[in-house]
Amino acid sequence: MKIEFRLPSLGADMESATLTEWLKKPGERVRHGEALVTVETTKGLIDVESNDDGEVAELLVQPGTRVRVGAVLARLEVEGGAPLASATPSPPPGPPPPPPPLSMHPPAPPSPAEGKPPGGMSGRARVSPAARRRAHELGVSPEALEQSAAGGIVHIEDVERLAAQRMAGAGDARAAMRTAIGAAMARAKREIPHYYLGHEVNFGPARAWLARYNLKVPVKNRLIETVLITKAVALAAARIEGFNGYFRDGRFERAPSVHAGAAIAVRGGGLVAPALLDADRKGLPTLMEDFSALVTRVRAGHLRSGEFSAATITVTSLGADGVDVLYPIINPPQVAIVGAGAIREQPWVMDGRLVIQPILTLALAGDHRVTDGRAGARFLRTIADLLVHPEAL
Amino acid sequence: MELNEIRGKLLTLLTNVAPDIEPQAVEPDRDFRDQFDFDSMDALHFAAAVSEAFGIEIAETDYPKLSSLRGAGEFVRSRLPQKP
Repeated sequence: MKIEFRLPSLGADMESATLTEWLKKPGERVRHGEALVTVETTKGLIDVESNDDGEVAELLVQPGTRVRVGAVLARLEVEGGAPLASATPSPPPGPPPPPPPLSMHPPAPPSPAEGKPPGGMSGRARVSPAARRRAHELGVSPEALEQSAAGGIVHIEDVERLAAQRMAGAGDARAAMRTAIGAAMARAKREIPHYYLGHEVNFGPARAWLARYNLKVPVKNRLIETVLITKAVALAAARIEGFNGYFRDGRFERAPSVHAGAAIAVRGGGLVAPALLDADRKGLPTLMEDFSALVTRVRAGHLRSGEFSAATITVTSLGADGVDVLYPIINPPQVAIVGAGAIREQPWVMDGRLVIQPILTLALAGDHRVTDGRAGARFLRTIADLLVHPEAL
Repeated sequence: MELNEIRGKLLTLLTNVAPDIEPQAVEPDRDFRDQFDFDSMDALHFAAAVSEAFGIEIAETDYPKLSSLRGAGEFVRSRLPQKP
């Protein structure tokens, strides 16, 4: 049977993308997880992967075309597998396929009316006054706003998204990324009731363990501190309920695996947070390899779609040049983010004595629709306990 | 190997690690972190590339010596076998 291959949402801030290149021709086979097409977004070039095994039946969109999230890009011919909610009485032969992991279903694009107050206004008044002002500042035309208003009210972040797309189209990638980040974070601050918790961790044991480990392996196999922190966050997210997953359609959906989003700075400004898949189940060397490859792809400006849509929780760090505490903003539809401050030598009380230790301050932003400070404190303490016993990570 | 030759090779390695860097824009005395927002992963990638290209051992404690083009050039020269 034929199925449709659609442009997935690669983050809350994405509305459309420009098709750059087809990586498969009609008649060619494509496997689940294999890249089918490259698109250009405000985050750079992204390879979009197929969610199915099959054969390319037809390509419906030409390179250079700008397409909206959800648009059908191609049709694939797949074996068997009745369409979902099929009325066929007998199940397909063979064991039923396991339910696909959450990562394979990118977060649904926000519907135009999502999270917006019911429109009591009519006609042209569907654009909020603040949005209209911002549109004027950014040079977005009233016609574009009216189009965007279909079915809902246009808010300031919708205007910024429109402007970001236009800038990306005009080749101003940096400004486009900045505007897209602004739109996603505005949505986060508007919709998510954040609470914040902080906790200091003695990073001495982790640092000593890391130094011993790195002495034994060649340079390219060495681990960095961020990988230890990411692994500890992933393990804690798998253990403590309410931090790993998505808040969608008014409820929390727990994710079965932990795909840890790693916030990576883009040189010259901007930020992307692609995912390290199954971070809780991977050993440190494998996780390090994945992380290393991810940074290389970010630097080259070429990521994969699975990495973008998959993250179920995010870890962010300002690195050695950072400051003591980083208060992060949740990346919707996720429900938690952990910020790691710069690790600095500080006075620390240990067994009743004052010693100097490298101290890491972790800050958690949690979603109050899902958890409370009490659960958040357990989550942060679990991360801290894991970091004090790095050999168990 | 002459310092200039080492530097040329280092520049190539640097742009391999970070393709978004313009080689002619590199200021030799300025720290990579400050100049290019180098993070710990970039530093590790650069150290791994230098270690492999020149066949020299680099300890983790040597990373700070690799933090600028001039520093890295001098470090590599000091580790390469001296001419008779």
